[in-house]
Amino acid sequence: MSASTARTPLRWVALAAWLAPLLAFAVGPVVLLLARGLGAAGAMEGLATEVGALVNTLVVSTGAAALALALGAPLALLLFRTDLPWRRVYAALFTLPSAIPAFIWGMGWLSLASPRAGYLNRLLGEGTLDIHGPVGIAFVEGLSGLPLVLLAGGAALRRVDPALEEAARVCGASPARALLTTTLPLALPSLLSGAVMVFLMTASSFGVPYLLGVSASPPTRVLTTRIYELVLRADEGLGRASALALVLLLLTPVALLGTWALGRAGRVRLSAGKGLGSRPFALGRAQAWASGAVGLCCAVFVLLPLAALLLTSLQRGFGARLAWEELTLAHWSGVLWEPRTLRATGLSLLLATGAGALVCALGLAAALLQRAFRRLGAGVEALAVWPYAVPGTVLALALLLAFSRDWRFILVERVAFVLALAHTPWLLLVAYAGKYLALGTRNGAEALAQLDPSLAEAARVSGAGPARAFRDATLPLLRPALLAAFVLTFLACATEITMSVLLVPAGSEVLGKLLFDLQSYADPAAAAVLACAFVALVVAGQVVLALLGRRAAEAR
Amino acid sequence: MASISLEGLSKSYGATPVVRGLSLEVREGEFVSLLGPSGCGKTTTLRMLAGLEHPDAGVIRIGGEMVAGPGLRVPPEKRGLGMVFQSYAVWPHRTVEENVAYPLSLRRLPRSEVAARVQEALRWVRLEGLATREPHALSGGQLQRVALARALVAGPRVLLLDEPLSNLDAALREELRAELAALRARLGTTMVFVTHDQGEALALSDRIAVLNRGVIEQVAPPEALYHEPATPFVAGFVGGANVLAGHVGGGAFHTPGGTRFALPPETRGGDGPATLVVRPEDVELGGDGTPLPLSARLFLGHAAEYRFPVDGTLLRAVGPRVEARAGQTLHVRFRKARLFSQL
Repeated sequence: MSASTARTPLRWVALAAWLAPLLAFAVGPVVLLLARGLGAAGAMEGLATEVGALVNTLVVSTGAAALALALGAPLALLLFRTDLPWRRVYAALFTLPSAIPAFIWGMGWLSLASPRAGYLNRLLGEGTLDIHGPVGIAFVEGLSGLPLVLLAGGAALRRVDPALEEAARVCGASPARALLTTTLPLALPSLLSGAVMVFLMTASSFGVPYLLGVSASPPTRVLTTRIYELVLRADEGLGRASALALVLLLLTPVALLGTWALGRAGRVRLSAGKGLGSRPFALGRAQAWASGAVGLCCAVFVLLPLAALLLTSLQRGFGARLAWEELTLAHWSGVLWEPRTLRATGLSLLLATGAGALVCALGLAAALLQRAFRRLGAGVEALAVWPYAVPGTVLALALLLAFSRDWRFILVERVAFVLALAHTPWLLLVAYAGKYLALGTRNGAEALAQLDPSLAEAARVSGAGPARAFRDATLPLLRPALLAAFVLTFLACATEITMSVLLVPAGSEVLGKLLFDLQSYADPAAAAVLACAFVALVVAGQVVLALLGRRAAEAR
Repeated sequence: MASISLEGLSKSYGATPVVRGLSLEVREGEFVSLLGPSGCGKTTTLRMLAGLEHPDAGVIRIGGEMVAGPGLRVPPEKRGLGMVFQSYAVWPHRTVEENVAYPLSLRRLPRSEVAARVQEALRWVRLEGLATREPHALSGGQLQRVALARALVAGPRVLLLDEPLSNLDAALREELRAELAALRARLGTTMVFVTHDQGEALALSDRIAVLNRGVIEQVAPPEALYHEPATPFVAGFVGGANVLAGHVGGGAFHTPGGTRFALPPETRGGDGPATLVVRPEDVELGGDGTPLPLSARLFLGHAAEYRFPVDGTLLRAVGPRVEARAGQTLHVRFRKARLFSQL
């Protein structure tokens, strides 16, 4: 079937049509930003403050990665290789930290452990814990990245051939020793690559360092928050911000190279086939201890911050006495029915829907192009996935700079159009769709790779033209994957904070920006209400995804 | 129903030629098998016939009308064919009925006629009761029947079958083979059948085309192919014959390693370099034959197979049980042999 479309120039037209928006709205702006950053880096004075931001970024990100690995590796073993009771429930609960924006976890921990009014400090004595500063940032980011390590490790543990472990048993190793000496070393590269992802996620995150770093005394500045401050200062700061963005952007390829090397080392030794369902390791008498430890982790790291947010949203004022009569629903009705919230919700849902549709369409196109151009296809995928690895702060800054003035295109004589994106919500749509294009591409390409090409060929031989065969035989089978990509993109965009903060035009509002503003400047209780609403939205979305996944598995 | 004509078909993938100047005529209503080992170009030939691949050179005619040739390329949907794929290719998002109705729905027939013809096609493949089932609730054999009904429902000019039985277990394969033969007798559709299984080809075909490395070695009815193989490859592939290289002289065959076999007097062929072809059942043990060390004896149930190393290959004999152990020397004689002079 590829042969029938392979030679026609049509595929080149399609490639051009797909590349044009990607180059104009993602690659181009970032390249412009890099050029500007290179120019500015030479003429920069007072570098000391900026070096501090870089050091902080590295320290915080390394700390977060280490925490995620230290917690994630034993958890992965316990949840995916033992007979721990309720392991499925735990596995589901432990995916929440990545599904809910890190900023919300930061808010939760701020309610728990801010030095004076935090709930934990009120129990333990004022000032016992302080979530502000580098340690707090690394702690919150590490917890929020925990699922990346956990899921990478779980996937690897399932792929390790159980025969390897059985061979160790036959050689005389005890069950625990066999697990620790054969399976764990084989899963280690995957666990480490998950930790590298946590490092990258932390380095490019903006909300938590802003929340816990900037207002601390002394303030902890990282690259992203420093860029934000410089952008707010406008003109004279933009050059310097570009230089910092350049540094931040360089962290990505270095870390990705590390992941790639680790992934390759890991893949060589893992069986390629599906999980062979090795027998879960019986915990025996240790079961009670393990159960208690995992339950405590889950309660403290996942449920407690969310409970704290809920409590904050119900209290008359943050820091008020903890008593029944101090609880009120006033914030809920106040925030949810406020015109400002409604407007932000409307715009956010509109943008998230638009971005979801764009991501599905462009992602499907990328997957098809990947197949039509065998060797060039890898390039297409790389290009589509790449913006996902660009930190949101950098992407937003690049778009801001590239479209700060209007672009005038003269098509034919006297027929011109002006691309005026600056200070419009369209720029947000561009940023969202660009950033999350990877979700559509990955989902589309994976689903397409699993499809037997004969399904479309059978439709062709039955009498359907190429377009009809695609519509009747291929598209319906890709639908679950595309729908999943849509839901993922929708959730990510509706709760996006980093890019929204920089790109929302004056006079309009989206949910992420509203949450950020309420938390930073106005009213922690109101922010907590909004955060609870976010959590509800994310949980609902996850349920939809789980249902979609089950349906896709049934259809296969 | 239509005749097919392939003239000088060639196809390469990159630098690898897959089909090399292949020509074949299939008469109206004929059942022709393309038989050969994997990689011989049989599936590629079928896909070119279907229009799923385009030949680099050559002409394809269906019912006298050119469908592929220099500057001409009729797409698969315009060729009026039916095809059964090796992987079944039954659409998992449609019920059995919807799968079978698809080719008709593209032809905009009235709904009542579609329903009647779907019912009829399902009756042909004995799936009347499963019309509303989802494909994931069907077995492999049932899926293959759905694929067959879908390929036949619109009354195709030619039915193409790409190893339709190879994904089934032995008993089911036997059953479907019989049904395919019955269907063919009933519908009389021209059929082209791709297989690597010589038993299937011999049992079903009017004629068999044996392919090797992209060229046809021989086209003949099954019996002629079996008894009169035109090349050592056909003899080896279709009859499982022993094929030995060497030379003929003084009424005997000599291998390069120096083993001498007496040839039966009626063997045709002159002296000189030649390839010797002997069926295992034509190799006799005992008497005054060539002494050879037995390397293994395999029990086959109705008979036994004996293996002798000759010049690095194995000479196989199939015959009645003889008391013998590996390492023992037995005498080997040919009842019937065939010589191909080497070019």
